[in-house]
Amino acid sequence: MTAELLRPHEQFRDLSQQREVATLGIWVFLASEMLFFGGMWAAYYVYRLAYPAAFRAAASRTEITIGAINTAILLTSAFVMSLADHVATARLGRRWLILCLTATLLLGLTFLGLKGLEYSHDYAKHLVPGVNFSFPGPLAGPAELFWVLYFAMTGIHMVHLLAGLGLVLSLIIMAARGRFDTGYSAPVEIVGLYWHFVDLVWILLFAILYLPGRAP
Amino acid sequence: MTPRRMILVWLALLLLFGANLAGAYYLPLGNANIALALGIAVLQIALVVALFMKLRWAASLMRVCAAAGLFWLLVMIGLMTTDYLTRTAFPPSFLAPVK
Repeated sequence: MTAELLRPHEQFRDLSQQREVATLGIWVFLASEMLFFGGMWAAYYVYRLAYPAAFRAAASRTEITIGAINTAILLTSAFVMSLADHVATARLGRRWLILCLTATLLLGLTFLGLKGLEYSHDYAKHLVPGVNFSFPGPLAGPAELFWVLYFAMTGIHMVHLLAGLGLVLSLIIMAARGRFDTGYSAPVEIVGLYWHFVDLVWILLFAILYLPGRAP
Repeated sequence: MTPRRMILVWLALLLLFGANLAGAYYLPLGNANIALALGIAVLQIALVVALFMKLRWAASLMRVCAAAGLFWLLVMIGLMTTDYLTRTAFPPSFLAPVK
């Protein structure tokens, strides 16, 4: 039965080639994702260059406490996701795999919950461009630009995280059905790579959206 | 990578995150603060990509893919920079002037 399950698909020479093709696929996708986010990073770079003081003033209004907690949560989820990949590859058992994946899922959900709370705080502080925005002083225009970028970047990141949560949930279901008992672990690795990418996008967003303008 | 080393990577990431927070709050560098923040973020990203994403042990094909993504990102931002850094009227006039 096990040998039956672990045969490669007919277009591949062997299992390692099949695995390599899957990994290559996700890396090509992630490279294109990088350029997708790159457009927003470029926009940020240009306007930051034009209005450094306004961007510092606007960034100092972000909810850094929630942002920092969320960063720690995502860094931890990256660790747990790596652990899940290790468990699947080393075949340490279904129970451990489900435990690691569920921890990743819960950390991701906590991130989303806190992000929602943060958006509601931003709204209460009149920092949502086009809906409810007022900023004191002469820097209001460029500060609004910062907040447009803030919502575009964190919003699209959030959509990516939601997709990641759906993928992790499907991994949990697959694991519960015993799909990874045979040592077949490619989906865990692929979803892990995607999850880490979403994590590293957040690392960058935290540096450019939350940290500026904090020094005295 | 063994779970023990994964824990070390995780702790290193948290440490760098703490350093980034401390730098942002206690080092008044003006415009250079963003450079410090980005520098530490790039270190964190390098750790994630090399170790958590296993690029360090990956086949050359995956490395080329990752490098290509970075390369085209740098081309995009680099070529854009040749425009914006050489403009004589910047910020562009269609935006409200700021004192």
